Amino acid sequence: MTDGAVPRGAATAAPGPWSALISSAARLAVLLGTLLVIVQALIVVQARPQDLITGVHGMADIIRRATPPDFSHINTALWPALETIDIAIFGTIAGIIMALPLAVLAAANVTPSRPLYYLARGVIGFTRAVPDLVWALFFVTAVGLGPFPGGLALAVHSIGMLGRLFAETIEHMDMAPIDALALTGARRLQIFTHGVVPSVLTSLAGISLYRLDENIRSSLVLGFVGAGGIGFQLLTAMNLFQYRQVSLLLIVTFVIVLTAERLSAVLREKLA
Amino acid sequence: MLDVRGLSLRYPNGTQALAGFDVAVGSGELVVVLGGNGSGKTTLLRCISRTLSPDKGEVRVGGVDLAQLSGEKLRRARLDLAVISQHAALVRRRSVIANVATGALGRHDTLWTALGGLPADELTAARGHLGEVGLDHLARQRAGTLSGGQAQRVAIARALAQRPRVLLADEPVASLDPEAAEDIMRLLKRLAAEEKLAVLCVLHQVELAYRYADRVVGIRGGRLAFDLPRAEVSREAVHRLYLSEAA
Repeated sequence: MTDGAVPRGAATAAPGPWSALISSAARLAVLLGTLLVIVQALIVVQARPQDLITGVHGMADIIRRATPPDFSHINTALWPALETIDIAIFGTIAGIIMALPLAVLAAANVTPSRPLYYLARGVIGFTRAVPDLVWALFFVTAVGLGPFPGGLALAVHSIGMLGRLFAETIEHMDMAPIDALALTGARRLQIFTHGVVPSVLTSLAGISLYRLDENIRSSLVLGFVGAGGIGFQLLTAMNLFQYRQVSLLLIVTFVIVLTAERLSAVLREKLA
Repeated sequence: MLDVRGLSLRYPNGTQALAGFDVAVGSGELVVVLGGNGSGKTTLLRCISRTLSPDKGEVRVGGVDLAQLSGEKLRRARLDLAVISQHAALVRRRSVIANVATGALGRHDTLWTALGGLPADELTAARGHLGEVGLDHLARQRAGTLSGGQAQRVAIARALAQRPRVLLADEPVASLDPEAAEDIMRLLKRLAAEEKLAVLCVLHQVELAYRYADRVVGIRGGRLAFDLPRAEVSREAVHRLYLSEAA
């Protein structure tokens, strides 16, 4: 370096004592804030770790009574297992059918009108905000006990979940091929079916498979409110203290979830 | 075939992008537009294709003034005018032949095409257009797998499927290597002659203009600087196009 050279970074003013003090105070405030959030959560949930220790005996007793799983009841678990999977399939397919047109209306780059855009966004937001379990309670009241209300609940909740992801996928697509098609004189519907659909179809299929995987997990719980499937069997067995049957049903549940998860992942990988 | 008269456009921010611009391109002619950045080249092409609406002027294609049309009439009139740009803008997940055949969609108002189908006769014609650009062997390949030069050729084949009378090319070789750029310019020159197309092509590569243009049009500050046969365009006149406005 020559004598006249200015050292790198010399033009930048060195941090003064005040800025260092402010930075330290800010770090301390963030730390205190985080601690405060954790402590208030512990208070609100009334966390009592000692109860876990005193409850060990109870848990051990349940585990003892739940083992070995009662495989003699496997035949009675197969139908509810199939019902659980079919609730998810029905809910996902019905959800896709209803979410697709809504997503088109809710995607800012292809929506035909602004009022329709806001209406579609509203429907998607509402169906997503209400949990599937609440939808299940609603449909059990409306159409009675069984797998059908479970399928309806998943379908309506899926509208919101799929509608949002579909709309975002459409919004983030490359618009150059769409503009190019418009310049050839193609009509609106032709531009949609020949440009938009093939561009996003693979992504939408991947999202749908992921939703099916999620819906299978959700449908296991829906039975707790009377919406059919293996969850209903599980609740009944627990209420009757048949813990060996409960453990069997939990194993079946585990197999269903794991298989669905792997299958969905493999199919999504193939689509990518 | 293409006759542009007195075309003017001022952007909402006050920039006068085009000021009374005139240009005419006959059937079978390749006219290259040269000009610096921000000179109005792309705005000119966008006003001709009516993706922008000019404030004043006429854009006549085969005698029909596109500047006066809107809605369905404009869509129908646009069928005579194909556009290719720097990026091929193909639907990457569709086959090459399907991409080419979509150029013909504007002529078909059937339920089949509305539902995503392509007419059998247009698929046959698309194979012919692919042959014209030398890529018929890639017909079944997915468009996303093509090189830049191949994709641009497919975009040209798609434009041909439209059966246009005028072809607008906005920097069609900007993202290609020199060899691929030469290929595309040769192709445009040949198509202009064989298909009797009126080709108006915006370029940044002056040498390509000297080699392939029938006429060269210079644009500076949204105004016509010169409109001359290739042989009469001086290096100095071209150089002046790229000087800053203040110079």
